[in-house]
Amino acid sequence: MDKKIRVLLFKPGLDGHWRGIMTVSKALSEASMETIFFGFKTVAGVVEAAIQEDVDVLGFSVHSGAHLEWAGELIDELKAQGARDDFLLIVGGVFPEQDHDELKEIGMDGVFGPGTVTADIVTFIRENLKSMKVE
Amino acid sequence: MKMADSEEITQGLEGWNKEKDGWEERKPEFTSDAGIPVKDLYTPLDTENIDYVRDIGFPGQPPYTRGVYPTMYRGRHWTIRMFSGHGTPEETNDRWRMLYDEGETGFSAAVDSLTFSGVDPDQEVHGAAHEVGKEGVPLYSIRGVEALVDNLPIEKMSVALVVEPMTSAAITSMYFNVARERGMRKEQLAGTTQNDILTMTIGYIPWGSLKPADLLKLACDLIEYCTAMGEAPRWNPINFTTYNYREGGIDAVQEIGMGLANAVAHIEELLRRGWKIDDFVHRLAFHLSAHRDFFEEIAKYRAARKLWYRLMKERYHPENPDAYRFRFHVQTAGCSLTAQQPMVNIVRTAYQALEAVLGGTQSLHTNSYDEAICLPSEESVRLAVRTQELIQEETGVTSVVDPLAGSYYVEALTRELEERIWDYFMRIEEMGGVVEALNTGWLFNEMSKAFNKRRRDQESGDERIIGVNCYVMEDEEATPPFRTNPRAAEVEKDRLADLRRERDESKVAALLNQLREVCEKRENVLPVVSELTAAGATLGEITGVYREIWGIWQLPFVA
Repeated sequence: MDKKIRVLLFKPGLDGHWRGIMTVSKALSEASMETIFFGFKTVAGVVEAAIQEDVDVLGFSVHSGAHLEWAGELIDELKAQGARDDFLLIVGGVFPEQDHDELKEIGMDGVFGPGTVTADIVTFIRENLKSMKVE
Repeated sequence: MKMADSEEITQGLEGWNKEKDGWEERKPEFTSDAGIPVKDLYTPLDTENIDYVRDIGFPGQPPYTRGVYPTMYRGRHWTIRMFSGHGTPEETNDRWRMLYDEGETGFSAAVDSLTFSGVDPDQEVHGAAHEVGKEGVPLYSIRGVEALVDNLPIEKMSVALVVEPMTSAAITSMYFNVARERGMRKEQLAGTTQNDILTMTIGYIPWGSLKPADLLKLACDLIEYCTAMGEAPRWNPINFTTYNYREGGIDAVQEIGMGLANAVAHIEELLRRGWKIDDFVHRLAFHLSAHRDFFEEIAKYRAARKLWYRLMKERYHPENPDAYRFRFHVQTAGCSLTAQQPMVNIVRTAYQALEAVLGGTQSLHTNSYDEAICLPSEESVRLAVRTQELIQEETGVTSVVDPLAGSYYVEALTRELEERIWDYFMRIEEMGGVVEALNTGWLFNEMSKAFNKRRRDQESGDERIIGVNCYVMEDEEATPPFRTNPRAAEVEKDRLADLRRERDESKVAALLNQLREVCEKRENVLPVVSELTAAGATLGEITGVYREIWGIWQLPFVA
């Protein structure tokens, strides 16, 4: 049997809109993934934990309008800790579609805006982890 | 209408039931959003146990089912109060001025995540600078509040400060101090501070939150100061914001049940402090949601009024007749908005606004169509204001008080909700009240069960959402987003740097020490916090003292 997919999810910054990420967390657990959820923690702390816990996926949720800033900071921190290509990176939350491309350019692998069906996140994770391993 | 004999109706109904035998229905069962079974037809038989005089009565009279004032909108329309704020206080002031010109009749400040959490932008808190002005207006010191209300007619327009117990004393006193600078006495000021502990715990989880008992203490400090001590008698020092819990996915029954339990926690704390019920209870107000089930929401407002009356009458017996009136603001449901086909949000919001009006609200916020994507643009918020103006000017629904009373369905549903809400409220009471229900994690569990159920219902298509799980459009053109000022963090850091340079540092330091003592002794923080904000202390400094003395709350849940 395959090893369970391990996912670390977090809320960056001060914004307290947690419902979205908790919902995703629950949906991923229901899809037999192992999820670790961090509330308020620094991005540096999150990256450290992701390396230590050897997770496959690192994801965060933003409702503060600062999605571009947080994505940038995450990539910088991953580089600083030598883990730029170690995880599949996903982001979700309330942000305009016009920013999806920029989030991908910054380095996010999966971008999920409002109205996303959680099954699509599950499929995305499974398919993309497979291709990462093939590479 | 001539009263029919119930036997005659029963016979008629039997005949009708036989006749429709063989007529197929669209689905096997129909339920309301709260899961209440909904019949195909309501008749006088469904309202047989309702006594008009006792249970429905007249507007402005017990049990207030039909409204808290005798004339309702024939006397005066509800307040058009748009929750609004972005970028810097100056930009928010521009937006407020525009809303005022468009016909808004009350202001409401949406603050950013730093203001909500009591953090300054120059504080060493991770990521603070990223979020300045992004979700609302930054109000970190009295200077921000001065700029926010500069040249606005606050002597005649009420202002709602949507901040919670962690920062309610600081922000409210900043506002009172600014009004004093402008020559007004706080006794004259009309407005509201949201000041809701459940918003801070189950609705939204701010960074570095205090423990529930400490939040309750701060919330009650403001009620005590404004109302019981008579410092700001026209101010509503709290607005139990069931809207925010509802946004998490719970239903109408849970919404009002939690709201009543929350109010009781505050009443009991103030009584414990030695105040009499009549010293404060008439100023407690509510902020409700308007959600997707049209009739259920209307019945909810009617039931809530009646239940508040019952709570006062059975348990607290205030002498002031105003104490029995359940006054509320309504916000249309943000979580019902979709990023897909956003123009549909205009229609959703209009129906929800109509619910609030038919339900007798005192004040209303209508969401803008782009709010599932970003903060509202000028164009979208103008349309949201127009939605309310249209109800006032063109529909005629405001000519008659409580026009849906007497509908067999609405009356039966009002009764059903009343019973279910009271039972839910009693369950929370029996487990020791909301603070206990927070500490044990029970309330979190209720929230998470609710939002996971809603997700499953939405993803399975049981809960239909246009543009998301039905009537989906491929290749939609994206709505141009409104962007907040990218320089807001710099502007606010400069504002604070100027303030820190100009203020009397030793005075602020001495007052902060005084606040430490007040917190240790658990005395009312308002008098010293008022002095602090007048002396130029910042929000982060004041909230920092609470955190230092009382400690931060460890959430009792694992997601």
